[in-house]
Formats: sequence, C-alpha cells, structure tokens
Amino acid sequence: MKKIVVLLSSLIFFSTGINAETLRILAEAGDEATLTRAAAQFEAANPGVTIDASYLGWDDFMATIKLKLADNNPPDLAHGNQGFTVDGTLVQNGLIISLEKYADQYGWKDLFADGALAEFMWSDDGSTWGSGSLFGVSPVAEDVIVFYNKSKLDALGLSVPNSFEDFENALAVSKEAGELPIILGGADGWPIIHVWGIIDGAFVDPNHTRGWIFNPKNFEFNTPSRMDAAKKLADMAAAGYFGSDSLGIGYDDANAMFINGDGVFNLTGTWMTAQLDEGMGDNVGAFAMPTSGGSSVAGGGSFALGWHISSKASNPDLAAKFLAHLMSNDFVDDLMEVGRVPAQAPTIAPTSNLQAEVIASSNALVGANAKTFYTDWATPGMYDVVTQELQKLIGGAASAEDFISAMAAESLN
Amino acid sequence: MSNKNIYRPQSKFQYSSYLYIIPAFVFYILFVLFPLGDTLYTSFTEWNGISEKKWVGLQQYIDNLNNKKITSSIVHSFILIIFYSFLPIVIGLIIAGIMIRVKIYGLTFYRAILFLPQILSMIVVGVSWRWIYAPKGPLNVGLDYFGLENVSRAWLGSFDYALPAVGFIGTWVMFGFAMILFIAGVQKIPTELYDAAKVDGAGAISEFFNVTLPNLRGEIIVALIFTVTLALRNFDLIWITTGGGPGTSTMIPSMFIYKKAFQQGQVGSASSLGIILTLLIFTLVSLILISLRERK
Repeated sequence: MKKIVVLLSSLIFFSTGINAETLRILAEAGDEATLTRAAAQFEAANPGVTIDASYLGWDDFMATIKLKLADNNPPDLAHGNQGFTVDGTLVQNGLIISLEKYADQYGWKDLFADGALAEFMWSDDGSTWGSGSLFGVSPVAEDVIVFYNKSKLDALGLSVPNSFEDFENALAVSKEAGELPIILGGADGWPIIHVWGIIDGAFVDPNHTRGWIFNPKNFEFNTPSRMDAAKKLADMAAAGYFGSDSLGIGYDDANAMFINGDGVFNLTGTWMTAQLDEGMGDNVGAFAMPTSGGSSVAGGGSFALGWHISSKASNPDLAAKFLAHLMSNDFVDDLMEVGRVPAQAPTIAPTSNLQAEVIASSNALVGANAKTFYTDWATPGMYDVVTQELQKLIGGAASAEDFISAMAAESLN
Repeated sequence: MSNKNIYRPQSKFQYSSYLYIIPAFVFYILFVLFPLGDTLYTSFTEWNGISEKKWVGLQQYIDNLNNKKITSSIVHSFILIIFYSFLPIVIGLIIAGIMIRVKIYGLTFYRAILFLPQILSMIVVGVSWRWIYAPKGPLNVGLDYFGLENVSRAWLGSFDYALPAVGFIGTWVMFGFAMILFIAGVQKIPTELYDAAKVDGAGAISEFFNVTLPNLRGEIIVALIFTVTLALRNFDLIWITTGGGPGTSTMIPSMFIYKKAFQQGQVGSASSLGIILTLLIFTLVSLILISLRERK
C-alpha cells in the first residue's frame, strides 16, 4: 500500500512538474516572426511554460477561425479580425472573454490615446461595435500611406506633396513625362480599398468615416464630401493615373513592378515596409497623404489583427501575461527588428531611411487622429460590394454616383 | 454431423448479396446523403456556422433568387456552358473525325499532348493562364509583335473580355477529354459501316454525319453531362484567375456559396444557394438524358 502511495504521488509530481503549462496559440501567418521571438523570450522568463503556436495563411485562417474557437478544445490565444464577421460573431457567441480586467492590470488603455482601441470594443452581447468592453489588443500598427520612388520624383523635379492638390499635380506631371503615376494591383480587389481609404480621407472628416464603419445604418454614407472623393477617384482613373491595365495586375505583381521601377507612387500599407526596403533601399520613401487643402493627413489603417483569449482557455491569466509581454515597452524594439510598425513609440533608432519615414507617417496619422480603418469592415457583405464597385469605378464601368448608391445600399444591410 | 455441405437450392432473391453493397452504401449515406440532407435542412435556417440554427423557411431561397448579382452569375454559368461544353465537344468531334480518317505519324504522341490539360490540376492551369493573359504576358507580347497593339489588353481585368477569357481556358482543358472519349467510341464502330458508306459513295463529311456521329451518341451524352456539370459547379479556375472580377463580370454561383459560407458567416443562405445550384444541375442533366436518349 505504501509503495502505491509513493508511486502515485511521484507520478502526480512528475506529470504536473513544477509549473509545466502549455499556452496554445493560433495566429495568422504574418505574425510568425513576431511570435517566434516573443515565445522564446516568454519561455525564458517563465520556466515551465511552453508556447505551442501554429499558423495559417490569411484565407485559411479567416475561413476557419470561428470554428476553431467554437471547438471543444480551442487555442487559448488567437487572432480574430475586426468587424462583425469575425470578432462580432466571437463576442456574440461567448467564445472570447472581455479583457477589461487585464487592461486595467497591465495598463493597456494608458498606452494609447482615448478611444484608440475602439476597434476592439464591443457591447457584452456583441450587438454594438466601437464602444463597451475591450475584447482584443494588438501591439502592431498597420497604416495605409504613400510610398514613392525617390529618383523618379527627383527626376520629375517634384518634392513630397504638402496637400492633396499638390499630389494631384505630381500625378499630372508624372503622366505627362510618360511615367506610370500610381502602380495599382487592382485585380485582387482589396488593394483598391487602400487607395479609396486614402482619397476618401483626403476629403471626408475621419470621425464621420469611423462612425460609419462602426454603425453604418445610422451614419449617412452619401455625403457631399464623399461624393467629391468618389468623383476624384473616377477622374484619376479616367486620366490614366493608374495606367490602363491595373485591373489585370495582382497585388504581389504590382509591388514587384514598383520595386523594379514601374510607378512613381504606391498607395499601400506599412506591412510592405520590409519588402520595399529590401528591394529598393534608399530609392524608396514614404509619406502620409496630406488632405485636400493640406491642413491634416489622411489614410486608412488600424491596429493589426487583434489578439483574443478563448473563453475555454485553461489559464486565461497566463494568456493575458503573454499578451502583456507582446504589449510591453520592452517588446517594441523587437517589433521594429522583425519589420513590423509598433503602435507605441520605439526607443531604438530606425534601421533604415524608409523605416524612419514610415514611422513618421504613422505618427502623423496617429497625431491627427486620421486613421479611418478599412471600408470593408462596415458590414459582412461590404468586402464584396466595395471591391466590386471600386473595380467598376476604376475600370470606367460605373460612375461615382453608382458607386456611392451601391455603397449606401449595402450600408443598410 | 455438420450440414454445412448440404446443397440447398438457391432462393430467387439472395439477401446475402446486400452484404456486398453495405460498405459502399454506408459511405454513400455518410458522405453524400447525410450532408445533402443536412444542407437541405440548413438551407431553411439562418445560421452563422457556430450559433443555433434559426428556422426561416423559404426566405433565403427568395432572397437569393431576388438578388440580381446572383441571377446574373447564373447567366454567366450558362455562357460558360458554351465554352466548357459546346466548344470542347465540337472540337473533340472534329479531331476524332480527322484522326480516324487520316493516318497521322506519331498519333499516340499528339493524343497524349492534347489530353494533357485534362490531367493538370485546375490550380496549375489557373496560375499558368493568369500569366499568359497578364498585361505583359506572352499573349500580349505576341500580339504586339504582330503589330496588334490595339488588340492586346489586360484580358482578365477587362469588363468585356474577362468572361470569354476564362471560358476559353475551360475549352482548352476540356476538349482533350471529349477527344479521347470520341476516339475510343469511334473504335467500337463496326468497320462494315464505313465500308458500306464508301460503297454508297459517301465522302468524308457525309461519312462523319451518317456513320460516326450517330454511333457516338452515348459518348456525346457522357461528355455533355460531364462538361455541363463542370461549367455549372466550376469554382477553382475562376477563383484563381479573376476571383469573380473585375466587378462582378465573372461571378458564378459557386463563388457566392463560398463567400457566404466561409467569408460572411451566412451558412444558411449559402446552403440554399447550394440546393438551388444542385437542382439546376439535376434539371439540366435530366434534360440532356431525355432529349438525347435512344428512341426505340
């Protein structure tokens, strides 16, 4: 009998170990470098804790994340995606927990300006978005800005524009000189959302756009300034500023062409920084688009995909502790080194000229409270509507009025 | 005293024979009938994939059929039937007709080459053709070389040409299948029929229409059913090449099913569209079978 007791107790001792615990993470593949680094640091600082991270590419991740979190044995920590389609459904079905307790404990809300985390806030039943409890956090900023080919801009005798009108002039000069003014991978649809976000932001009050995204039924999409933005985009396309083939070029191809010297400007996200840096070195620069009149800046963008803690997580405190590591000031420089743009100010010097300009652009957008997210967040069906309607607008198959009315109609869905 | 070896007269109906189909039948129930029934039930409910299903009756059928983008995608599917079914069968028949008439050196080689597209993965085909159709791809470079700069364009990004462009890929993929089917069919036609036709003074064309074509009825039905079904349920090729764009100019019903189920969390609505598509395919296949069956 004694032997059995000893055997059992030693079994229990060795099987549980001292603190042996595994934190299971499911992430979108873009965060692999970030997580690999964070996991190693966290494991070293917390003996006995093992991080078990798995990754899925964007399409697979988005198609399965809700099912994975609804599973009986879900990951403890997982990405979601801002909007009703993913995050809203997760909150509505009680699959992820409110992070309010941890936000207070670790001071996450103090890191950013008031309301900056609104994109992760939901009412507890998941019916309203943009206010309520915090259900996600992310340490990474993704902004939509303007990248440009420095030698081309110099050769054209142009400088970085101070107003949207300046920018338009630069496009006209580029076109006149036989250059492709803006490289655009319109075949994929979603890159045009980024272009639209910038042009929309140059004309429309960002507060109104954010209000519309959080609550599209109660914010009018069809405003005079938005009609101006739509007409401007249609005019730019008609003037050939995107070239004649933009709808036949994919996003990756467009960026490869930009690196190889096609296009003066490239309106895309800061997630391209590392790739453009590597491909173009000192020949690429970046700026935040100035608004019409030049009094402020404009751009789409948000935090990167939010982190959520599963409601079935065996140890939510441990998951929160790992999140606190990702959100900590210590980790900011690591984010820089893996090529991400941290949402908090970095302490180390930028590793390249481009990174410095990207961070300056990002700071300008944050400072002006100008980030307007992404148009497709507004409704579950908005991604399809906005990509299809923007393709029509760029391809001359629809007018600005058609675009605005199709978008206003989807806003009510 | 075993009676195992006693001969028993076999009853007319052997129940034990059912044992042989049980494995296949179990799979059929598990992987075809059960999902079909479940999809049918889901199609009458509103469901985001994880919450409770909410019964809404026929509402989603009505909504889907009233959605102009969806009805126009069904029209696109019918246009694709021309490219996926009609053209491959005509081309396959012509090649089969030539191959039986003309002795070609290295016939097996050409047959294998022409059949090749059929065995390639649709993903590979899609990626390759996206490159061929690209603004600076081989097709446009070739056109420019011959001074046809006015013709060259971003084929898959054109509102007028994207649908025929993806349709043509289907023709390229499917004609090899039709051709092999018809060449095999031709070989079982008794040579006496051709001899008789020759005696009656039939030329190549008359021989084709009076001997070859009528004897290929069975093969043509198989080819039609296979290619029409593919045209209607096609997904991967268009998803890879255009994703339904530009705008909605190459959208097809299966793409709405995918988007609704996996991107927009409307699994119930996706199911109802799936059932509509199934019924449509079932109806068309029945029409083909009824109109082309042998009349005794």
